[in-house]
Formats: sequence, structure tokens, C-alpha cells
Amino acid sequence: MKFLPLIWRNALRNRLRTFLTLAGIAFLLFVLIFVLTALTEMQAWEGVAAPHLRVVVQHAEGLTALLTIDLENYLKSDEIQRHAKNVTKFNWYGGYYQDRDNLLPEFAVDVGVIRELFTELRFSDDAYRRLLATKNGTLVGVGLMKKFGWEVGRKITLIGTFYPANPELEIVGTFTATDPHQEVQMFFRWDYFDELMNQQKMVSTYWMEARTLEDIPKLKELIDAHTKNSPAPTETVTEREFAAQFSAMMGNVKAIVTGIGMIVLLIMVMMTANTMAMAARERVTEVAVMRTLGFSGAGILAILVAESILVSLIGAAFAVGVSLAIFNVLRLSPNPVYFPVFMVETSTVLVALGAALFCGVFSSLVPAIRSARRKISDGLRQVV
Amino acid sequence: MGAPVVRVQGVAKTYYRDQTPVPVLEGINLEVQEGEFIALMGPSGSGKSTLLNLIAGIDRASSGRVEVAGNELSQLSERALAEFRSRHIGFIFQLYNLIPVLTAFENVELPLLLTPLSRSARETHVMTALEIVGLADRKDHTPRQLSGGQEQRVAIARAIVTDPTLLLADEPTGDLDKRSEEEILVLLKRLNTEFKKAIVMVTHDPKAAACAARTVMLEKGALVAGA
Repeated sequence: MKFLPLIWRNALRNRLRTFLTLAGIAFLLFVLIFVLTALTEMQAWEGVAAPHLRVVVQHAEGLTALLTIDLENYLKSDEIQRHAKNVTKFNWYGGYYQDRDNLLPEFAVDVGVIRELFTELRFSDDAYRRLLATKNGTLVGVGLMKKFGWEVGRKITLIGTFYPANPELEIVGTFTATDPHQEVQMFFRWDYFDELMNQQKMVSTYWMEARTLEDIPKLKELIDAHTKNSPAPTETVTEREFAAQFSAMMGNVKAIVTGIGMIVLLIMVMMTANTMAMAARERVTEVAVMRTLGFSGAGILAILVAESILVSLIGAAFAVGVSLAIFNVLRLSPNPVYFPVFMVETSTVLVALGAALFCGVFSSLVPAIRSARRKISDGLRQVV
Repeated sequence: MGAPVVRVQGVAKTYYRDQTPVPVLEGINLEVQEGEFIALMGPSGSGKSTLLNLIAGIDRASSGRVEVAGNELSQLSERALAEFRSRHIGFIFQLYNLIPVLTAFENVELPLLLTPLSRSARETHVMTALEIVGLADRKDHTPRQLSGGQEQRVAIARAIVTDPTLLLADEPTGDLDKRSEEEILVLLKRLNTEFKKAIVMVTHDPKAAACAARTVMLEKGALVAGA
């Protein structure tokens, strides 16, 4: 700590250069945080699904194909109920509210089981009673309520995109969830949805909860074998596997994000290395003087590396601060349709700080080692 | 006269320009006693600064022995040499070489950062050193806000703050006006007489050399008088 004033003063020696380096690091880390957050948000559902035993039955050809309503009877039969409970039809309605930019995650479900199936959702008994009693009732996450300024009792109309129906829903209650991503969802009754669709009994997926972890493979085996030779063969997956399909649809985004991250890091290291090389070159004589006073080569090395780390971490602090302010405090999203929630996670902050630390150390090592190794007498002779 | 603080025996120093050897010092024998003030004189290129660097432990002799305060310098590792310099050597440069971003106080404090002294103990030492050189009231000034003479006095305070065994001064008045030069020489003389500091001063100036008790002449890398 006693060296901190020396390190700090040296870092501020050329204020414009330090400011530009700081700004560059902050900007690059902001880009890194943004890209990592986008990736995290794309995979958020997988994280939400991970701790649960929920199983999803979908058409073997994918989500565009529909399942039969008859399958429900089999899923509620004793053969399946030995391994599962709380079966529900589950359709993503895919409509928007007022504007196409407001495409919402609305789900038509058998509301009688959602309390047991989605235990992470918290809503009052009163709200639940109203949902059961109101055919066009909807239970809305507090995130959506806040976003649109809705209040309980309000009637809203959704505009269908691929289902040709526009449900007129009445908000009968709200729910909170352990994960904010779930708080931007809404649920309404599947029988109301079916009524709007002229009782065509269109089921896109069935959801249920496996009784134990060991029941999941059995469920997959039984259900898929049962439908194998039917007009609508199924593929039964866990909720997490179901969510992972959506991540996979985005292609090799992870590789792209990793690539961007590496490029950002490389530019940061080169930029900071340039600054540190200039700083070290300016201080050849000073370093020689300090070593004459008794500073060891290792001590000089530590001071120069610490200076670089300080600059990098201040840049990182700016980037993290601005990111948290924009995305976590103001709750702004770069694209509310694809990212209804866009929040920087602690792990992302740690990655950014780690990148800054790496940049600080790596960019200063070469100039610092050269400074520490230069002969004192040569350093004292050098005119900079 | 006390025990020798510096004992240089048969020292030679050869630099290499490309691969050509350039002998700078040859067969140097010199002793500096405790509390002695000697001036090292000679024409440019005679090896004065090289000899001073060897005594300071910032360069190594090609052959021979350099012993300072009981330490045979050729036997010390780089790390041990650094520790030796911080404990035993106070170095005064011709161009002062203060750290421009630090105040006078912080410049003087710099060598003390290598010691286990507490913050308050460091402050006491620094203020004592600044008072000795008469610049306690300028402690918060940066080098840019000081005159050349004042800068050199701060540099002297930095050299004495650790109470080193030996003060080495490489043309300490070479970059100063007449008045400042006199002030610095008076100060060095005082450090020698009042505080009993052994001093080896490289100088071109006979007037500066006259302050020393003994003058040693170097010519073409060899001692020609005063050893």
C-alpha cells in the first residue's frame, strides 16, 4: 500500500495518454460485457430449467408440427402417471401487444396444474382462484406489468402472429419468480385459446413433471414408443434439453462470442502494452535512479505491472459501472423482443475484471522485465 | 582515522563495444576511511564515474575486489546488491534525478519505502533530512517548482535519509550556478564534519575538490595521485 501513491502518480503522469488508454479499455470491456450478456441471456432458459424435473413432449419433426389431443389421455394414464404428474397442454401463443416490437412470451396452459408444475412462480391464492374462474383471465409476471404499466383488472388484447386469433385477456393477478426472466411471461387458459381457434385442439407441446430423476428416461422411452407409429410421433425431452434446442437454433453463437471476446482482449493488450512501453521508455533514467536507491529488479517489475493493472482495472470499473447502470438499473435492453430481460450477471462482471487483470499483467510484462533487467549504469547514461 | 569504509584492490573494468574490449579502469587501489571526504578528479573519460559506480554496487568490476562497509560486492547477488545499496549507499547525481511526479517529501521518502519503518517514522526521518538541507518548508513542492540548487538539496536529503554508510556524489555541482554550487559544497562539508559521513565526490572543479580532505587523480583509467 505504501507504494500506491507512487504507482498512482506514475499512472497519471501523462493524463491524456492515460485517459485515452482508460477510455479504450472501458469501451472494449463494455463491448465484451455486452456480448457476454447477450450470450448469457440467450442461454438463460437453460439455467432456469436446470433444477427442475419438467419434461416436454414435442412433435418429432419439431415445434412447427402439432401433437394430437388424444395423446393427453395416454399422458394421464396410469402407465405414465406412475412416473409423472401435473400434465398440461402448453402452447406458445406468439402474439404481440399493440406493436410488433412487443412480441410477448404468452403461454396457453391448463391453468389447473401450473401452481404445482411451476413451483418457482409465486402468486396469491386469490389471483389463482380468479384465474381458474375467469375464462379469459391471465396471470402476468411483474416484469411485464411494470414494463407496460398494467394493473390488475385491466383488459388487454393480443394480436396473433401465427395463430389467427386475438385473445382479449383480463389480468386477474400477477406473479413473481426466483429468476427475473420468468417475470416477463404471462399465462392464460388453454381452453380459451382453443375456443378462439374454433376447437381445433391444436397442441404444440405437453409438459409434465417427472416424479424422480430416474423416471425421466422411462418417460422418454414410454411416450416416444407409444407414438412411434402414430401420425404424430413425439420426441420427449427434459425442459433443459428443450431450451437448449433454441440456443442451438442460433447457430454457433458461442464461437462467435468467444472470437469477439478474444479480439477485444487482444486489442486491449496491444493498446495497453503500447502505453506501458511508452511509459517505461520515458522512465529509463528514473528506473535506474530507483534501483540505485535500492529498489530491486523485482520491485521495479512489480511497480510497473501494478501501474498497468491499476489503469486496466479503473477502465474495467468504468465499463462495469456503465453496463450495470444501463442494463441492471435502468433496465434498458438492446432488443426488447429477443431480450425482454437483459441484465449483466455477476459472472460476466468477474470475467470482465479478469480480462482487465490479464490485460494489465500481460501488457506490462515485456516493458517491465526490460526495465528491471537493464543495467543501472546504462539507464543512468540514457537520455530520453 | 577509522577503519576503511571502501577498499578497492586491483580493480579493472573493461567494456565491450561490439566485441572490441575497451579498458576503462586498470589496477585501481583505493581506500576511503570512515568519515573521510575525498574528491575524485580527472579528465573526461578517465573512469571517475565508472569507479564511483563500482563502489556504489551499480556496476561490477571485471577483476579485482571492491569492498564497501565489509561487503565484498562481487560476491553479492543482484538482489543482495540492491539491499546493500539501500542500506549503505547514498547517491547524489549531477542532474539531481528527482522523480518529477513526486513532491520533495515523497522523493526523499522513496528510499525509506524499502524499509520496515512505519508511516510516522518515515515522516520523522524525511522531515529531519529536509531540515538538514534547509528545505522543510518546500516539502510539498514538485521538482518543477524548485530551482536547480533546491532540487540538488532535495536529492541530498534523499541520499542521507536512510543514514547510509557512504555518500557518493557524481559531479553534484556540475549543473549549478555559482551560488547554488557554494551552497551544495557547504552542505556536503557539513554532512562530513557534523554528521561524520564518508563522502566520495567526483568533480572536475578544483574549487569543489578543495572542500575534500583528500583528492585522488585518475587519468586514462589509472590512479596517478592521492591513492
